[in-house]
Amino acid sequence: MATIVNVTQEKALEVKEFEFTYAGADAPSIKKLSMPIAKNSVTALIGPSGCGKTTLLRSFNRIHDLYPGNKYKGEIIFENRNILDHKEDLIHLRTQIGMIFQKPTAFPMSIFDNVAYGLRLQGIKNKTELQDRIQKALQDAAIWNEVKDRLKHDANGLSGGQQQRLCIARAIAVEPEVLLFDEPTSALDPISTAGIEELVVALRERVSIIIVTHNMQQAARVSDYTGFMYLGELVELGRTEELFVTPKEKLTEEYITGKFG
Amino acid sequence: MTHTQKRILMSRVAMTFSTISAVIGIGFLLWILGVLVSNGIDALNTDIFTLEGTPPGYEKGGLKHALIGQLYLVGIAALIGVPLGILAGTFLSEYGQRSKLAEIIRDISDIMMSAPSIVIGAFVYAIVVAPMGHFSGWAGSIALTIIMLPIILRTTDDMLSLVPSTLREAAFALGAPKYKVILQVVYRGAKAGILTGILLGIARVAGETAPLLFTSFNDNFLNTDMMEPMASLTVTMYNYATSPYEDWQKLGWAAAFILSMFILSLNIIGKLFLMKKKGR
Repeated sequence: MATIVNVTQEKALEVKEFEFTYAGADAPSIKKLSMPIAKNSVTALIGPSGCGKTTLLRSFNRIHDLYPGNKYKGEIIFENRNILDHKEDLIHLRTQIGMIFQKPTAFPMSIFDNVAYGLRLQGIKNKTELQDRIQKALQDAAIWNEVKDRLKHDANGLSGGQQQRLCIARAIAVEPEVLLFDEPTSALDPISTAGIEELVVALRERVSIIIVTHNMQQAARVSDYTGFMYLGELVELGRTEELFVTPKEKLTEEYITGKFG
Repeated sequence: MTHTQKRILMSRVAMTFSTISAVIGIGFLLWILGVLVSNGIDALNTDIFTLEGTPPGYEKGGLKHALIGQLYLVGIAALIGVPLGILAGTFLSEYGQRSKLAEIIRDISDIMMSAPSIVIGAFVYAIVVAPMGHFSGWAGSIALTIIMLPIILRTTDDMLSLVPSTLREAAFALGAPKYKVILQVVYRGAKAGILTGILLGIARVAGETAPLLFTSFNDNFLNTDMMEPMASLTVTMYNYATSPYEDWQKLGWAAAFILSMFILSLNIIGKLFLMKKKGR
């Protein structure tokens, strides 16, 4: 059994006996995994490639459902409901749980329209309201000063780091409860990475954050809690400073000291 | 001779042969264009665009009937074929994906693309012309639609598949329903490519003669009634060029020139779209 530290504060999400099997696979990629996700904090998921951390992350907004044949088992409790229930309204769920991808995913439209996309989906048409919320989102994503004079320009003209911050602005514009980050800096240079990390730390005031990262230093820098996963199971979940300094499990210790991975 | 010298020699021999082959290939193209331009421009005058066909021996005759007939035939084929092709391509890329049904449609469409166009003409003759009892513009447009469809379908499918799946996921992750993801994000990302497919599809059918010979047939005078036989540049060109009358032959050259320039420009515009897309 995994060593899981008691999350005393309120929980954003609660994973219970969760199993995930990809279409056509014999064995589940995630096996009977249970873990709490603390509210208004940053939880990092670390582990070697193929350990299932991205698979778990992509279950929280059920983006796996885009591809037929994937199977969920168990429960993920969010706002007192099991989001794995087949009656779950995925469109609504995804406005509550946003996602930032590994590579920046700016849509082929203007910077303004990119951020407006999610807002317009929610039926906001009023021009002043749109403008206000877009400005606020861009400011919160620390990119407003760089783009305020070219909101009508094509978003693909921005640098990779700027595009990633634009994607964060787009995601927070709809005011989600939870934000999922899937290795958000692996395609970025060190300076852009530092910018995104600062943003993650600042955002936890308002949203609960789960971040998948290959980079242990990054997990140590930005997260409050860290979960170490191995072969589809959660080995250890603890407060970040404790997990990295005094890991309880031998496997965790071996991984964070670089013995494998 | 050292090993390196041998390699350099072989490289030169290979380069010489491929250069010669390229020159021969391009040479024919330039030759065709040259003959077409010199004879075509010679035959061009304003009467071509303002007068209809005349019996041989009359001084003044034009191609107005064929130009307008061609526009009708190709235009209506495009009006039917473009939306059908785009919708079918969208089904393959966004809904069918790797499913068996989608793969079968892809294969059939590839076979259709290489089907001899005269076979499609014969097919439309059997299902449209024969029951109606006479040739008609509609039959011609239907034949052209069938030829155009697989081209637009496959380019749309290919171009939509090139849109990265992370872009779709990002739109879904914001809570977008599928049809909005396709209309607002995927189409936008594939715009230039789809437009190219449309232009190339139109260019391909604009040069077809065989399927029109026994569907829309021909008419030496202006007709805009799609229920009646209709003139086209290609069939007119075929009739005029093979006739023994010199003034008709001249009009045939003019028709060949106009048609070639039309198709050439469609192709160039299509390639420019694609280049613009790749340049980004």
